[in-house]
Amino acid sequence: MKIFVRGGDFIYKGNTQETLSESLSEVFSNRVKEEKMILTLLAGNLIHGLLLGGVYGLATMGLSLIFGVINVVNVGHGQFIMVGAFVALTMFTVLGLSPVIAIPAALIIGMALGFFFFYTVMRRLIRAPELTSLLATFAMGILLEEIAKLIFGADFRGYYWAVGKITLPITTIPMSKLYAFIGSIAIALFLYLWFSKTRIGTAIRSVMEDSEGARVCGVNVSWIHALSFAIGIGLTVMSGVLLTMFIPVGINPYMGGGYTLKAFVIAVLGGLTSPYGAFFAGLIFGLIENGAYTLFALIPGVAPFPLTVSLAFWMLFFLLLVKPTGLLGK
Amino acid sequence: MSSMLKVENLESGYGAMQVLWKPSLEVKKGSITSLLGPNGVGKSTFLLTVLGSVEPWAGKIFYEDKEITNLPTHKKVDLGIALVPEGKHLFDGMNVHENLIMGAYRKEAIKYIDDSLELVYSLFPILKERDRQGAGTLSGGQQQMLTIARALMTKPNLIMLDEPSQGLAPILVGEVFETIQKLQAEVGLTILLVEQNAEASLNAASYVYIMHEGQIKAEGTADKIRGSSDIREAYLGI
Repeated sequence: MKIFVRGGDFIYKGNTQETLSESLSEVFSNRVKEEKMILTLLAGNLIHGLLLGGVYGLATMGLSLIFGVINVVNVGHGQFIMVGAFVALTMFTVLGLSPVIAIPAALIIGMALGFFFFYTVMRRLIRAPELTSLLATFAMGILLEEIAKLIFGADFRGYYWAVGKITLPITTIPMSKLYAFIGSIAIALFLYLWFSKTRIGTAIRSVMEDSEGARVCGVNVSWIHALSFAIGIGLTVMSGVLLTMFIPVGINPYMGGGYTLKAFVIAVLGGLTSPYGAFFAGLIFGLIENGAYTLFALIPGVAPFPLTVSLAFWMLFFLLLVKPTGLLGK
Repeated sequence: MSSMLKVENLESGYGAMQVLWKPSLEVKKGSITSLLGPNGVGKSTFLLTVLGSVEPWAGKIFYEDKEITNLPTHKKVDLGIALVPEGKHLFDGMNVHENLIMGAYRKEAIKYIDDSLELVYSLFPILKERDRQGAGTLSGGQQQMLTIARALMTKPNLIMLDEPSQGLAPILVGEVFETIQKLQAEVGLTILLVEQNAEASLNAASYVYIMHEGQIKAEGTADKIRGSSDIREAYLGI
C-alpha cells in the first residue's frame, strides 16, 4: 500500500497498520494543510490508539501473569496472539461465526494449549537458568509459527466484520474496533474481580507474592503454576481474536514477533508482574504509538511506520534507564 | 506418650549437594521438642523436607504413625502440619487480615476460621488492632507474630517453627518463647522448635536434638543436654 501525501513527501508501506493508513488516507485526501487539521488528525488517531491500546493491554496481561507466577519470560508470547488471530479468521471465514463466539473458543483453545505446554515444557523451566527458559519458549513460538504455516500458508490474510461504524467529526470508528475495546475492558475487569474475590484467584495472588508462603498455607503451588500459565495463554489467545479487528489484512503465521516486543515494553511500563498495571500500560502504549505515528508523518522525508516500530525499542531503553520498576510499578 | 512426628534416616539436598545425612528424630504428642544447631547445618532443610517443599531423597517420615514421606506439601498441611518458615514469607501486598485468611486456605481449615481468628487475636491483640494494615508495613516483631498466627490459621496439630527468635530484640525473643509455651500448654499443640538460641530453647523444650553437618550428633532431655558440658562446648558454644 502506498499513500502519497503532500505531493509525495513520504511513502507509507504498511501491512499491519491498516488502521492508521485508513484514517490517514481519509483525512489526507482532503488536502490537509492547516494546523487545525493536523490536531484533528492527531485527536482522531489517538482515539484509534486508545481502542487498540485496550487490546494491547489484554495481550500483555497474560505475559505479566505468567512472569509473575512462574518467573519465566515467555519469548513465544506473540505467537499465541497469532493463534488467536487464526482462531478468529477460521471461525469467521470457514464456519461463518462472529468474533463474539470466537472469544470463548479462543479461551478454551488457549487454556488447552497452556496446559499442554505447561506440562510438556514450562514445568521444567520454573527453576531452570534464564537462558534455558528463553531458548525453550523461543522454540515454542517457532513451533507454533511453523504449524500455523503448514495449516494456513504464509500469505497475509484477513477478514472484515461489518457491524457498522460511528462517524465523528474528527474520525470514523468501525463498531468492530469499539466492540474489541469493550471486550478487552470487560475481560480485564472480570479477571480483576476473579483475582480479588475468589479463593483460587487469591491463591494465585499469594503465589505471585511469595510462593513459599503460599505453600505453607497449603496452596497446591504446582497446580497454581499450571492454571496461571493456562489462564495467561488463554488471555493472550483471546487478545489475538480482538486484535483482528485492527488488522484487516494482517493475519500471518509470522505476525507474532512484533507483538512479543510490544508486550515486553508494555509489561515493563506496567511494572512487569502486575496484570492490571499491564492493562493500563497497554492503553498508554496505544496512545503513544498512534500519536507518535501521526507526528512522525509530518516530518518531511521520513517514513513514519519504521520509526514507529523503533519507538518501542526506544521506550524500553529509556524506561530501563530511568525507572526499571515500571512507570506504574512500586 | 505416642509419637506425633517420626523421621527416620532422612536424606535430601539441593541439586547434587546433599544437605541431610540421615538424621532421625521423634516428636512426642503434646511436647515441645527442639532441634538445635548453628547456622547452615541443615535445620531449615530438615523442616522443608519434612513438609515436602524440598523433596526427600531417602528415609521415611511418619505422622501419627502413618507414612507421609512423599505426600505433596498441601496434603501434609491438610493433615495438620504447619510450618513457620524462616524469613517469614508473608504476603506483603496483602493486609494482616488477608494474610490470616490465606492461612485458612485449605477446606479443612475454613470450617474453623472463626475459632482460629479468635484464637490468634487473643494471642496477639496487636494483630487485631492492625488487621487492615499491610503486612509489609508491620515491625519485625509484629511480622513474626503474624507468621505464627498465619500458621495457626491452618488449624494444625503439629507446628514447626524455624528460628522464630531470629532478628528480634531480646525483649521480643522472650515474648515469642512465652507464646510458644502457651501454644503447647493452653492450646494443646505439639511443637518442633528449630533454633540457634540454645539458652532459651533448652528452657522451653522437654527434649532436644543437636544437629551438625546434616546429622543428629546428640539428643536427650533438656536437663541432660544442659548438664553435659561436652555437648554444650562442642556444639552449642555455651
